[in-house]
Amino acid sequence: MLKPKQMSKVLLTGHKDVLEPTIETLHDLHALHIEEYVGEDYFHIGTPLPGAEDDSKKLLKLRSIASFLGIKKSYPEPINARQLSSELEGKLETLGGVVSRKLERKSQIETDLKDVQTGMNEIEAFSGVPVNFELCSGYETLHVFAGTVRKGADVRAGLKGITDEYQFFAGDTGLFILAVPVKHMEQVTDLLAEYEFGEVKIPAISGTPDDLISELKSRQDSLTKDIESLSSEIDSVKAEYEEFILASEELLSIETQKKEAPLVFATSEHTFVIDGWIPDDEFETVRSRVEEATGNRVYVAKAEEPVDEANVPIEYDNPKIVKPMEAIMNLYARPRYNEIDPTTFVFIAFPLFYGMILGDIGYALILLGISLYGRSKLHGEGWNSLFTVLIYCNIVTLFFGILYAEFLGFPLAGIHGHPGLIPGWETIELMPGLGGEHITYPIHRTHLVTTLLVTTLLIGVIHINVGLIAGFRNVLAKHGMKAAVLEKIAWIVLQVGIFLLLFGMMGVVASMVPGAVVFALAVIMLVAGEGGTAIMEIPSILSNTLSYSRLLAVGLSSIGIATAVNVMAGMMFDSGGIFIVVAAIIFILGHALNTALSIIAPGLHALRLQYVEFFTKFYEGGGKIYNPFGYNRIYTED
Amino acid sequence: MAIELALAGADIDLILANQQGLIAIGAGLAVGLTGLGSAIAEKDIGSAAVGAFTEKEELFGKGLIMTVIPETIVIFGFVIAIMMLL
Repeated sequence: MLKPKQMSKVLLTGHKDVLEPTIETLHDLHALHIEEYVGEDYFHIGTPLPGAEDDSKKLLKLRSIASFLGIKKSYPEPINARQLSSELEGKLETLGGVVSRKLERKSQIETDLKDVQTGMNEIEAFSGVPVNFELCSGYETLHVFAGTVRKGADVRAGLKGITDEYQFFAGDTGLFILAVPVKHMEQVTDLLAEYEFGEVKIPAISGTPDDLISELKSRQDSLTKDIESLSSEIDSVKAEYEEFILASEELLSIETQKKEAPLVFATSEHTFVIDGWIPDDEFETVRSRVEEATGNRVYVAKAEEPVDEANVPIEYDNPKIVKPMEAIMNLYARPRYNEIDPTTFVFIAFPLFYGMILGDIGYALILLGISLYGRSKLHGEGWNSLFTVLIYCNIVTLFFGILYAEFLGFPLAGIHGHPGLIPGWETIELMPGLGGEHITYPIHRTHLVTTLLVTTLLIGVIHINVGLIAGFRNVLAKHGMKAAVLEKIAWIVLQVGIFLLLFGMMGVVASMVPGAVVFALAVIMLVAGEGGTAIMEIPSILSNTLSYSRLLAVGLSSIGIATAVNVMAGMMFDSGGIFIVVAAIIFILGHALNTALSIIAPGLHALRLQYVEFFTKFYEGGGKIYNPFGYNRIYTED
Repeated sequence: MAIELALAGADIDLILANQQGLIAIGAGLAVGLTGLGSAIAEKDIGSAAVGAFTEKEELFGKGLIMTVIPETIVIFGFVIAIMMLL
């Protein structure tokens, strides 16, 4: 539970004749993490089994079809693999034909549409000009200008001073076409330059702009219609073949995986050697199954040589209830082989911290509802872990909610004459707390700040020291007793020193001398263990511990937001009339916002306490992922 | 005589009210300034972290930790503010 699964390094050696049944069996068992063969001495890398190339071509085709059709992962009933395999070839051929025709048509339409768009852009500027483009060029005695001038400039008035012989047509967009005799061209050019003339190219086609535009528009409409009908056709193909595509993609992936497996094996002319890792408890099964499948012609043995820890693939070994927490571990890093796997600690501390921070019956019930619904609707391992973690967290939140008696920021029980939400429920004083406060049931966090603050710091001290003890165990296994004591126990001694000093200051202990002595001893141990830089690290134990005050602080800020929403809604509600609706809107929106924050804020802070304050005391991480040879079937079944 | 006493009483009320006000301002500064401090630190770390884990997804956990480290400052500020107001 506190260690990753124990692994054995395994060698499988046999004749190439039995390579195929060996691969088949290993794939079914899904237990061997294969170490890739990279060396090039006597052995060389194996060649894929026959048919591998064909399968990968089919797979490539299938994947491009799937991406064209936009097929998303869904979770239908699995299809029988044998039956699928027999009809795959023919069905893929038909599907490929259908899809490639559609693809061609689609790209043709898209090109046409683009052409129309370009034409449109050219002509649109001329809209309203009543001239056929054909008549604008090909003259010896006439020069035609087309373009725009500065706003407010009157071209015709300017032309009066030059000539009366001209034709001027203006369009809707301010663009004009002007034809003048060639002899006046220079003068007109100068005049237009004064008006900031911007030339526009006249399209080399026949027809008046308005006719052309309406023609292009109708063409655009018909193309758009074509594309719509095509996409509905594509959708029907998608609906028809979706299951087939998903299932055969899986089938072919499995086939190529098997057939290409020899690429990571070491082979000689007649033999193969597979090198890899198997969890200890599965070794016997693998050996007997492989020997059975190959008629004892493959030799399976554990490697005796000492193994390099860094190479061992890591598989968590946690009870089912703790498993979802592995997602939180993976977000940080997988444990190393000889390290304590802290998943179980996280399983306890993360929901506890989350619940302590949030502690509200209302939010707990809302979030429990959301996560239970989400878990039943969204599949996939990631979602499943996320929602399960959220469920754990909110069960604890519910517990703390009952302890704090808070519902959406309202106190359920009355205190000091302020009535709670449940009439008649009054807060009971249990015992005196710190700083003149009284510990009560239910606990009112806003009335018990000092006591709760000290409680959170004590939780911090416990959490940090669990981390240090785990660190002691890790260093002990790696570097021996001396290093473990100097690096980890020294921190515990340091805390004892700090506590003795505090007690001395408060007068609980008569003198501060014992505290100072223990503190000095701890500093000497730290410097001996970690060098002079350890002195710089000493304040971190304080800031780490104080950091646990967030268990109270973040919760108070959440209460603050909830109370603010409640007060605003209450004020609106008291105004009556239409304001009752406004009050309802404020109440719903405000608490929706706070619910969203209730996942993020407590989640992130509880996570941070694990990662920053806890893990830094002992955890290195960085183990390799155990990735056994095999496949998790979703769409097919054997 | 009676008037003088009444005036003195008013003064004391005023002084107490002033003190309350100053405490509230102090608490506000404690949260506000530490919040600004955290924000300035987090904006740099956060953008660097996002950059890092778009390149290499495994860095998400470490990036997150680095990003929330300065958050401690505002938590301290908040705790101090609450203790001032009590």
